[in-house]
Amino acid sequence: MNMIEFKNVTKVYEDKTVALKNISLTIKKGEFVFLVGPSGSGKSTMIKLLIREIPVSGGAIFVAGRNVCNLKSSRIPQLRRNIGSVFQDFKLLPNKTVFENVAFALEVIGKQTYIIKLQVPQVLKLVGLEHKLNSYPHQLSAGEQQRVSIARAFVNRPPILLADEPTGNLDPVTSEGIMKLLSRINLIGTTVAMATHDKNIVNSMRRRVIELEEGEMIRDQKRGVYGI
Amino acid sequence: MFFTAISTVAITLFIVGFFLIIVYDVQSVLSSIKSQVEVAVYLKDNITDELKVYLQDEIKGWDEVEEIAFVSKDQALEKFKKENEGSEILKEIQGNPLPASFEIKLTSPEKVEQVALRFLDKDGNYIEGVDEVIYGQNYVQKLFSITAIAGSIAFLIIIMLLLAAIVLVFNTIRLSIHARRKEIEVMKLVGATNWFVRIPFLFEGFFEGFVGSLIAVVLLYFMSNYLLIRGEKAIVDTMHVKELAILGTSNVVIYIYAGLIVLGGLMGIMSSSFALKRYIRV
Repeated sequence: MNMIEFKNVTKVYEDKTVALKNISLTIKKGEFVFLVGPSGSGKSTMIKLLIREIPVSGGAIFVAGRNVCNLKSSRIPQLRRNIGSVFQDFKLLPNKTVFENVAFALEVIGKQTYIIKLQVPQVLKLVGLEHKLNSYPHQLSAGEQQRVSIARAFVNRPPILLADEPTGNLDPVTSEGIMKLLSRINLIGTTVAMATHDKNIVNSMRRRVIELEEGEMIRDQKRGVYGI
Repeated sequence: MFFTAISTVAITLFIVGFFLIIVYDVQSVLSSIKSQVEVAVYLKDNITDELKVYLQDEIKGWDEVEEIAFVSKDQALEKFKKENEGSEILKEIQGNPLPASFEIKLTSPEKVEQVALRFLDKDGNYIEGVDEVIYGQNYVQKLFSITAIAGSIAFLIIIMLLLAAIVLVFNTIRLSIHARRKEIEVMKLVGATNWFVRIPFLFEGFFEGFVGSLIAVVLLYFMSNYLLIRGEKAIVDTMHVKELAILGTSNVVIYIYAGLIVLGGLMGIMSSSFALKRYIRV
């Protein structure tokens, strides 16, 4: 089953920058895919298109078989509840504790308190932060903060997890921990797409690699490495 | 941020309310002065009773006329004597040189000239039985232009103050939303609906506007009852103006209070909703 499908997708920004040119690809359920390429090659644009942060200029994008390009704006929240997103800058709320940051993701989609109390400690255990429930983000290391943000993205058990340069701010050892965590989430059956330009990570994981250059897909390789 | 917004609403609406009261009173004084504009129609001594009654009935039928009173020669003399009691001039008066007259009060004083013109015939002479028509030709027009200018200035001041209040409150609320843009961004990313994001902010904006305007009204209440009311008492004593904001019978000040509270709530909720538009589009 195709979890994500791009059909001739083109994205031109308002300032006429062409970010993506005629991209077609499919990602199956349970796959782990790296999107690689230099800065400005279109990796982040693909992620933004998937969560409908920006609209497409041409072509169509399907998530779980549904075309998300003609989604009514009132249906976008539903789409985002099925896609967890992780970012380079974590996007944690500084005035909330670890528990509250993760619980926030469930609160805003209207989950009941008892479900929140059940699921948040579970997911924090999964990311290895069960002992830091009451810490604030500034009391955590960068790697721990990224784990919190992964916990927040995954607490609702979305079928898809998107990560945009999740290790961009982390040292190699910490990055390895984050990759192990993403692999574990992938093993549970979650489709994971991760944009990165961290060569070591891509080479050590040997997963599918999609390479972009100036908005064009120049490589789609199973069990690939960063550069050929 | 919360208290900044509340105090901004309180201070700006207090100033708006304060000026509304002042402007209302100034307008009342001016219209009271205007309402004292009358037309005096002096009659010839040889006018017949029939013509007099005919004229009186005729004048009564005009739309512009609110009230018409007849002052006979005797009454005129009586009044003159009263007004000049103890003066040398009384000794020099022999007989009764004063004419009888109609005193006409108008529904709208601006029409005084139209009314006066009706006493002239085609050739510009006074109609039969009328000796002279006096309505303060020289100062009435000036009075009207002064009140008109004062009215427009007052209107402008109120509009400017309202605009300033709206801009200030909007900016304050926008800043407080801006400070929480990260929270909004995260909410949208994890799939919160627009209304879920919006409602707490709208409620907060309304609350800030409402509480701020309540504070403004409380301040204004004390200001009115301990300070402005003295000014109004002086106006009532010296100029016999009836319809003032605080002392008047129509309780204008209560409407001002109510209006400010409604305005405060609306300003808060509208500011939030406009300010949110930018941040909710993630």
